[in-house]
Amino acid sequence: MMNCEEFELRGLDLDRADADPQEAAAAVQHAQSCGRCNAMLESWREVKGDLRLLRESTRLDSAPARVEMRLKQELRTRREARVPRSTVVVASWALAATAVLVASVGWLQTRHKSQGPVVSSSNARQISNIAPKTLNDDSDEMLLAADYDSATFTQLPASLPSASSDESILEVRMQRGALERFGLPVDPDRASEFVDVDFLVGEDGQPQAVRLHQNSQVMTTTQ
Amino acid sequence: MKILDEKPDALLKRAVRGDEQAFLALYRRHQSALYRYALRMTGSPWAAEEVVQEVFLVLIREPQKYQAERGELGAFLYGVARNRVMKHLEKAPRELSLDVMNTDGSAWNEPEDPLTPMMIAEKRERIEQVREAVLGLPADFREAVVLCELEEMSYEEAAGACGCPIGTIRSRLHRGRALLLAKLELLRDAPRRASAGAK
Repeated sequence: MMNCEEFELRGLDLDRADADPQEAAAAVQHAQSCGRCNAMLESWREVKGDLRLLRESTRLDSAPARVEMRLKQELRTRREARVPRSTVVVASWALAATAVLVASVGWLQTRHKSQGPVVSSSNARQISNIAPKTLNDDSDEMLLAADYDSATFTQLPASLPSASSDESILEVRMQRGALERFGLPVDPDRASEFVDVDFLVGEDGQPQAVRLHQNSQVMTTTQ
Repeated sequence: MKILDEKPDALLKRAVRGDEQAFLALYRRHQSALYRYALRMTGSPWAAEEVVQEVFLVLIREPQKYQAERGELGAFLYGVARNRVMKHLEKAPRELSLDVMNTDGSAWNEPEDPLTPMMIAEKRERIEQVREAVLGLPADFREAVVLCELEEMSYEEAAGACGCPIGTIRSRLHRGRALLLAKLELLRDAPRRASAGAK
């Protein structure tokens, strides 16, 4: 059961849609037993009626159409002023890629003119993996080729002399034993020695001939 | 999915990207309640119009101010409107129009009513008295009365709009009701006393 103080605080909520049903019932019960609180409830209900009249009279009030027009105009102005972010990003990347491409082409052309074709020594491992592993009957000659410096190249087994002039010399420092993978016989006692080797690399990137030398030589272009 | 069925957050995302239809859907969903709130708080149609415009300009220019995790868009808009209304109340003395005007500035027309001209006049006078009484409340109490009694918000919704606890809203409403009762009782009793004295 509510007392007068509680009724003053919460009793007038009993007509609200979100009123607690138990509290509302207690408020009604108290109002029936208390003349003062009942009079206050009646007065409040009259005021609620007046508030309802005010609410109904302004129910359809809304901002004038000119507000919507102004806001639409603002939205359009901002939309037109704004360049889509995606466009900016794509344009930036395209510009950067073009600059890199132009610089690369220019650098390659300059380098090609000044040095001619060069094959990087980092390709040596790849070449050695590709090379056929065969042995032929001329193993003695090959041993000679693999053991000593020679001004001329020794044709590798299973490769034919190239008629093309687009060949490169690839200078590689490797263990003598690795020459075995190219079909060259190697003295097992000297297999761990490091030697400087020139490979004659054909147009197709395959090694065609080999030349051994003790002292490193500057890589040069043949023909 | 119809644009009217879309959630406010989805509409706002589209509106921020410049989608006019999405923005208008949001505007039309909220502007009327915000306008009534501002009008009842300020008593000035011009101020109410300005408040609504400023609220939606914030949404256009600074959409990042709304953070969905902190509450619903409606509550955020009420919050912005509330700030503008309070600034207006601080700056300007209460503006009361001499005539009851429509929002477009034209004279207020009584809706069609099966009442006699005398009853219509009385009703109009009562509405005006209530409007005056509400506008005469201190801002915090007025706000609670406007939101909970005139806009029929729940305590929770009103607390969200004002950015204060439910207990604060209940307390303000309690004080607002008491003041309103006293004012309207006086107004109501004055004619009664006058007619009793005439007898």
